[in-house]
Amino acid sequence: MRKINSRSFMILLMTLAFFAGLTYHTVNLVLHASQWVAEPTNSHLTDVDGLEFAGKIFDRNGVVLAQSIDKQRVYNDDEEIRRACLHIVGDNSVNIATAVQTVYRSELTKYNFTFGLGLPDILKKGNNMTLTIDTRLQRAALRALGDYKGAMLFYNYKTGEILCMVSTPTYDPQDVPEDIETNELYDGAYLNRALSASYPPGSTFKLVTAAAALKEVPGIENSTYDCHGADYVGDKQVTCYEANGIVDIKEALAQSCNIFFAKLAVALGKDKMTSYAEQMGFNSRWSFDGITTSSSRYDVTQADENELGWSGVGQYTVLETPVNMAIISAAIANGGTPVMPYFISTIDGKQKNKTTLGNRMMEKDIADKLYEMMDYTVYSNYGKSYVSEKLDVCAKTGTAEVSSDGLAHAWVTGFCKDEDCPIAFAAVVEYGNYAYSVAIPMVRQVLDTAADIYKKY
Amino acid sequence: MSDTIAMINLVLRIATPAVMLISVVLCFLSLSFGRRDEHALIALDDEDNNIRYPVLFWENTLGRSRNSDIRVPDATVSRDHAVLLRREEGWFITDTDSKSGVFVNGEKTQGRHPVFVGDRIKVGMTTLTLRRADDPTEANQRLKVSPPKQRNTVSCSLILTIITILIGILSAEGLLCSGSFSALPHAVIFCVLMWLFYTISVRLFQRRSFELEALALMLSGTGIMLNAFHDQKQAYMQLIALVLGIMVYCFMLWFMEIPDRVMKWRIIIAILAIGALLLTLAIGKSLNGAKNWIIIGPISVQPSEFAKIALIFVGASTLDYLQTRKNLFGFILFIGVCIGIFFLMSDFGTALIFFVTFLVISFMRSGDFKTVILAIAAALLGVFLILTFKPYIAERFQAWTHVWEFADSAGYQQVRTFIYSASGGLFGVGLTRGYLQYVFASESDLVFGLASEEMGLITALLMSITIGGFMIYARAVTTRSRSAFYSIAACTSGGLLVCQAALNIFGVTDILPLTGVTLPFVSYGGTSMIACWGLLSFIKAADERTYSQKKAKIPANALPRDPVKQ
Repeated sequence: MRKINSRSFMILLMTLAFFAGLTYHTVNLVLHASQWVAEPTNSHLTDVDGLEFAGKIFDRNGVVLAQSIDKQRVYNDDEEIRRACLHIVGDNSVNIATAVQTVYRSELTKYNFTFGLGLPDILKKGNNMTLTIDTRLQRAALRALGDYKGAMLFYNYKTGEILCMVSTPTYDPQDVPEDIETNELYDGAYLNRALSASYPPGSTFKLVTAAAALKEVPGIENSTYDCHGADYVGDKQVTCYEANGIVDIKEALAQSCNIFFAKLAVALGKDKMTSYAEQMGFNSRWSFDGITTSSSRYDVTQADENELGWSGVGQYTVLETPVNMAIISAAIANGGTPVMPYFISTIDGKQKNKTTLGNRMMEKDIADKLYEMMDYTVYSNYGKSYVSEKLDVCAKTGTAEVSSDGLAHAWVTGFCKDEDCPIAFAAVVEYGNYAYSVAIPMVRQVLDTAADIYKKY
Repeated sequence: MSDTIAMINLVLRIATPAVMLISVVLCFLSLSFGRRDEHALIALDDEDNNIRYPVLFWENTLGRSRNSDIRVPDATVSRDHAVLLRREEGWFITDTDSKSGVFVNGEKTQGRHPVFVGDRIKVGMTTLTLRRADDPTEANQRLKVSPPKQRNTVSCSLILTIITILIGILSAEGLLCSGSFSALPHAVIFCVLMWLFYTISVRLFQRRSFELEALALMLSGTGIMLNAFHDQKQAYMQLIALVLGIMVYCFMLWFMEIPDRVMKWRIIIAILAIGALLLTLAIGKSLNGAKNWIIIGPISVQPSEFAKIALIFVGASTLDYLQTRKNLFGFILFIGVCIGIFFLMSDFGTALIFFVTFLVISFMRSGDFKTVILAIAAALLGVFLILTFKPYIAERFQAWTHVWEFADSAGYQQVRTFIYSASGGLFGVGLTRGYLQYVFASESDLVFGLASEEMGLITALLMSITIGGFMIYARAVTTRSRSAFYSIAACTSGGLLVCQAALNIFGVTDILPLTGVTLPFVSYGGTSMIACWGLLSFIKAADERTYSQKKAKIPANALPRDPVKQ
């Protein structure tokens, strides 16, 4: 019997293993509960009553964007603001994956694991949230985009606060259109295009090629090229919009000479191009405020020489998200290291974010040269007062062809030099076709509004 | 008004785990208080050398080996010389293939031989005289034998009252949550049943303790209440299964009272079990992926659940049998056939439970780590071969450890369990207010998650810990049971319950692959409920007190044959 007793120790070990497993599950549950409870498939929160007692959401000036009154979720009084802020605030559903009412639903409803979602109504009181966005800029951006599909992102490159982020098409969260799933006007309306969509970047990508060339190609600043509008790169031609004549790198960026940058890309080679692109945010995702953006893509492993050339001017298979574009501009404005963007200021009165630096994208002298080149691009090519009469803006446009019949997405990215208005931005207009005449005026409307608000005269 | 109700509801939900905790603590306290101290039952005196050997257990090995219960340091004694055991009729000695044999009063013994107080037992060169433990002989003075202490146990009716309160709280809470009285009859029937069972147990069977039954009733009752608001009909089935389970429990306690009777029936039980499994294989129906159901009219039965009970009957044995027949061949054959049949049924959960149980029994019997390691190696090889030749089986387990990637396919149930356990918090969202109830198999495979969501994590954990507690208790009574058969059976049955609980709970929480077994006593499933009560009876039988009422009559041959000798 004594022997059997000592052998039964093994069974005791089994029981201890069982208890250890229970402990593991408990720890796992407590650690991840707030994340799991916020899953979009949680019917407790996504059924009609998920936001019954959720807290208020304010913009940076205390404008109420959403609140719960008598178990109803009520959004801002102004339909235009409701539509402009939709992709940041979200609606009652969890269809907009990156909106705060989706990602922060458990914080808004003040979830804690002790009582789970089981508190009686009278004890339920949500947390309030303050965002960094400014409804006046949101409104200006929505008006500027008009009927176009596209996205705009403006953020303070010194603090990281996102002041304005608008994506179209949009809809009114207070009165969700019934045909949202079928009407092609609302195609992709659940997507925040500033964070979750990627487009061919076109000429805006020349900033990446230029950054690589300034570092890696000796004597690049003294080299010139005589552009006749078309030239062979590899076994096929690369073409420009027009013959640019004799250009150096500064003039090539200003006039957006494709051949110059295509030849640079080939000279740099696949490895260096990929490595610089990846330093500048390609082939990875950005994460901030609990959301993860889509990935920008630069993959030339299968490209021939001509295609490598085209990739250097943001064509071929290159794709970029507006948020990545804005971060590149912010890095240039900031001496090579970007400040990471964010849009949540406080939750329950507690500061959620502080200014954080991202990884260095380029060395300081390269950033300063690009800064000067973008300044020159606006000065010589677009006209300073055409981009903004109130702010000193450096920028680069891009017109990215997406089909053989000449349809193109219009891009513009850049930053303001003004000390009291340190804004970096990126805008993309789907099938805008003309960056100069379509995208720049849109950005101008928002920048001028921002100048009226923030600029100290 | 509705706010007041909601607050009352919250208080009830907080009270649920508190009351459950009280009843669990009381039961286990009572179980450990009520146990007798290990004192000598009788003694063997080596009068030549003036040594006294206290006999502590109902079954004792006697030999030269270091691990013998009665260790006789005499080179002429075999390592495992004999087994001294006690039965209702008195004490017996069995020669376990010793070299020099066992002589009682000068007569060589064969098989089981009765011994009486004053008898002289000769093993090797040593002569031992059987004495009562409380003999006031000189030798006895040196042996510190503490007299048995009778501690007060917690009143079982108090525990049952607390469980009644628990069921009351659950039905009140469910009523407030759902506004329906649908589960009231279940609560009343359950409580009546519980008290009736207690009365019968105490009055008719004259059993002193009821803690083990109370714990199992608490689990079953909570399971029934969890189910009653979702599906009244299922909950009635569950109640019927509970009654049948209790009947099986009582029958098995009667049957096992005489371990030697069980030993005789083992082969028949094994044949019946394999027959039932083969019958299932032949005419069984496939429900939810495993072909392990026999459906007769409105009744569907899972014979594999009963095979678990047979497994323990076949595996456990008395000490004298263990010492003489050391090979496990018959047992391995039985288990091999069973596991083979489960694989043909694609009931991998039960196959795994059987395998673990096999490991436990064979280790308990032989204490041989080599056997265990060899068996595990063989099993791993088997699994490897099966996965190589039938790769589709692996697909069933593809979501394991990364369920979130399969949130809408193979990991659906686990992900929902996580989400809704998180929603439930410590005290739950309230009965019927959960969403996990709409997920397939929520009341059986996912019952841990369902309890977490609706009753809270604490209640779900308390129920799991109670099942683990059965195991710890089974081990604690090992040396105090009336036969090695009971000890082995109790430990194995406890191990089986824990193994099954682990597969169930860790399956849905993605610690182990999801195999779809039930949580003992709590899950919906009639056969499972009955089988769990059957398994519990092994643990109950191992407690010496279970049959102590009857042994109060002193057996005839336990009396000294020759009182003058003293």
